[in-house]
Amino acid sequence: MLVGTVIGKVWSTQKEQSLEGLRFLMIRPWLSDGSESAEPIVAVDPIGADVGEKVLVVFGRAARHAIGRGQDIGFQTAVVGVVDELDVAKPARRPKGSSGPPKERARE
Amino acid sequence: MFIGRVIGEVWATKKVDDLGGKRLLVIEPLDAGKERPAPKVTPVVAADPLGADVGERVIVAFGKAARVAFGGDGDYAFEAAIVGIVDDVEAPGAPSSWGEFA
Repeated sequence: MLVGTVIGKVWSTQKEQSLEGLRFLMIRPWLSDGSESAEPIVAVDPIGADVGEKVLVVFGRAARHAIGRGQDIGFQTAVVGVVDELDVAKPARRPKGSSGPPKERARE
Repeated sequence: MFIGRVIGEVWATKKVDDLGGKRLLVIEPLDAGKERPAPKVTPVVAADPLGADVGERVIVAFGKAARVAFGGDGDYAFEAAIVGIVDDVEAPGAPSSWGEFA
């Protein structure tokens, strides 16, 4: 699973039958330095993410399951969540030995 | 399967049902080629049934192994899971960054 930013939508009329009616998004994977990969990926979106949002993307069987048609499908990448918050320490800026347990969060 | 360091956590409200109640951690793989944390890698997001903390080194499994870590081989909408928290790694010649945040 990875985090990426939705940069656009993809339409295709002539496509494999099992892909009828699916929504395709173009996503740029997020990199550990805060930038984005130069190689976008295409994912099916069953939940309705918008351009500009950060999303969670899964691959393989998990993606086919998330697309949710109870059968095999000709695709291996899917959006499974829209990110509300991404709380990531900046490793490059964190002084040696300063890591500790994360602050308490009131989230379930 | 790989060893990585937990660098953060991610929250999503709008998501597929399977991810409900799952803790999702962001993990940066340890890289033998780099003394410092890799500047540009794609971090992996994995479901965490164990309760790992930020800064800890963890073992991440994919595919069926990840599903088994959540109690079976049912279909889940995630393919990566934390299956172990590393106490120690003995690897002579490993870069110092491997132990730095342990």
